[in-house]
Amino acid sequence: MSRLPGLGIAMGMALTLKKFFEPKATIRYPEVRLDVPPKFRGRLQLLYDEYGTLKCETCFQCAQACPIECIDMGGIDTKGRYHIHWGAPETYGERRDESALRRSGRPVPDQAYAHFDPIHPVKLEAILERFDFDPSRMLEILDATQAEYGHLPVAALKLISQRTGAWYAMIYGTASYYRHLRFEPPAAEPLAAATATARAGRETAFLAGLDASLAGSSRRRGRASAASRS
Amino acid sequence: MTTVLRTPRAWPAILLPRGVADPLDLDEARKGGAFEGLRRALLDLGGPGTISAVAASGLRGRGGAGFPTAEKWRAAATAATADVVAPGFGSGHGTMARRYVVANGYGADPSSRTDRTLMERNPYAVLEGALIAATAIGAGDAIVAVRAEATEAIAALETAIARMVDANLAGSDILGSGVNVELSVRPVQGAYMLGEETVLLKAIEGKRGQPEQRPPQPATHGLFGQPTVVQNVQTLAAVPWILANGPVAFAAIGSKASPGTILVSVRAPGGAGVAEVPVGTPLREIVALAGKSRSDGLKAILVGGPAGGILPEELADTAYEFEALRAVGAHVGSGSVVAADKRACVVDLARLLTRFCADEACGKTIPCRIGLRRVSEIGDRIATGLPKPTDGQLLADLSADIVGSALCDHERLATLPFASGMRYFRSELDEHILRSSCPAGVCRPIAVAAGGAH
Ligand SMILES: Cc1cc2nc3c(=O)[nH]c(=O)nc-3n(C[C@H](O)[C@H](O)[C@H](O)COP(=O)(O)O)c2cc1C
Ligand code: SF4
Ligand code: FES
Repeated sequence: MSRLPGLGIAMGMALTLKKFFEPKATIRYPEVRLDVPPKFRGRLQLLYDEYGTLKCETCFQCAQACPIECIDMGGIDTKGRYHIHWGAPETYGERRDESALRRSGRPVPDQAYAHFDPIHPVKLEAILERFDFDPSRMLEILDATQAEYGHLPVAALKLISQRTGAWYAMIYGTASYYRHLRFEPPAAEPLAAATATARAGRETAFLAGLDASLAGSSRRRGRASAASRS
Repeated sequence: MTTVLRTPRAWPAILLPRGVADPLDLDEARKGGAFEGLRRALLDLGGPGTISAVAASGLRGRGGAGFPTAEKWRAAATAATADVVAPGFGSGHGTMARRYVVANGYGADPSSRTDRTLMERNPYAVLEGALIAATAIGAGDAIVAVRAEATEAIAALETAIARMVDANLAGSDILGSGVNVELSVRPVQGAYMLGEETVLLKAIEGKRGQPEQRPPQPATHGLFGQPTVVQNVQTLAAVPWILANGPVAFAAIGSKASPGTILVSVRAPGGAGVAEVPVGTPLREIVALAGKSRSDGLKAILVGGPAGGILPEELADTAYEFEALRAVGAHVGSGSVVAADKRACVVDLARLLTRFCADEACGKTIPCRIGLRRVSEIGDRIATGLPKPTDGQLLADLSADIVGSALCDHERLATLPFASGMRYFRSELDEHILRSSCPAGVCRPIAVAAGGAH
């Protein structure tokens, strides 16, 4: 309740009026461009949520995704491990322990963060033991895990991360790169057959294409591949 | 198994010796001179002596770029081992300061079987070469990286290693010299790019396979940040012969600038197979090894694999040699030589190759990820009759930009099919772009010029 009826509205209108005559702050990019120094790239900044906790989870996905490695992270991660940053001060976000576990709740569409099914860890523990919990043997660990479980369940990746000390983002980044590794069980995989052929068959397809091209029969190849796609 | 093509008897057979019944028979191999080079390296020459001998032989890398082998070894031998492990996976348990030798037997190009054939038919030479390299630079580990699908090669190497360890030719205190080298086979798979050396090292470290900025070169900062010699398996397989027969004998073979022999994977209308040829053999003779062709005449030769150059018939006398090929816009690359006759359309071929290269790009850098995709799209436009009049120029500009801003050799080389196609088959390309017709009658749905093949 305001002291005088209508005062709130008047104050609002006064602000509107004042803003109306102020110079405009909008820059009509791209017609108008601000004069920024040539090396300006902006500054990385970590945001806080409404409770004042850092939103960053130190998942390293952004640092992993950056092709020229200009993003970096440092501080204590959600597993209580300390990471040192090795970039220039502008390029890392320091994550401190007060922004502890906030991983729950928010739905993120990425497979890696969606609700995941549990696995029986005994076999995985044996695999990890066999490779001495050595993160530099990650590919061998992933290969063996896939051979054991049929695919790479998220729970397994989390356990591998925990036991080897390798960042989850590193493991996920590695596993998603290699064509023979998969995150879904072969049967449940949508269009399982098609993706399986695509995975194994890129080279076979290239060789077949080369043969067709050399024999001058790309017309038939074009038709055949169009048919197989539909 | 791949066919090994018969070559003239006068040509030396260093990598694939003739008339070997069982390549895994160690006694037979030793009677034929195997492990004589290793004995010399260990007991007579020592590290610097071995490197000097390799330098005197003029041996250059067979992995495609033709880098002088001895220079790499020297750099790795003198580089300090790092005592901190590169950031990333944290400190691995097994990573003390040390040096490594990595034999690159990945064989990325699906149309080339050279390295796989070598490992199946002469595993001892590859392993002996790796051991010699390891002793020369003071490495404690020699890792042969092989594609996981090449099961025969892996089996051959594993059997060979077991027999060598039993005969005290690998492992600890080799031949009583006090030198220890751990030999191992590492199957890797899952991406074309694994053939590139920095990517291969990433895979062995268990990381995502994307190349690194160079310098620093792997020779000084390689596997786990340690000095590492990455060498193609053919390069290593030539080393025992050099030490056993002397560098002068090796330098006398092949061309002056790059002596020795090299394996080629030939694919021609007349036949296909792998052959060992002296470096510098004219392309025409290499194509002829595949046998007589039934169809009409040679039109083009694709040299260097998916990212190779397409050379016209007039250049068929070019020497198969690093500089000569580079000068005409091709490269040794994966060792694949593919002959195309009149039935093939250069635009169609270049489009297929570029498409493969774009699909296989690792995605780390933008010229690679997006530039190659655009080159491939322009190729598609030209081949499907929807080209823009400026596409020729656009293709040339874009290729130059990609080459200029590339991180690794893949993207630089992946522009070659179209660059060489434009250079040598301009009229055929213009026919597509300006008149929407395909002289060979291959491309669809554009109009077929009168007299086309179909
Ligand atoms: C895309 C790409 C693929 C490659 N594939 C292979 C390969 O399959 N085998 C190989 O030995 N070298 C390959 N190389 C070359 C290696 O990077 C490296 O130069 C070579 O292994 C070094 O050995 P060398 O000095 O004995 O030639 C490739 C390079 C690039 C850029
Ligand atoms: S890719 Fe990396 S360097 Fe490029 S804009 Fe994004 S964050 Fe920055
Ligand atoms: S293939 Fe991606 S950077 Fe070269």
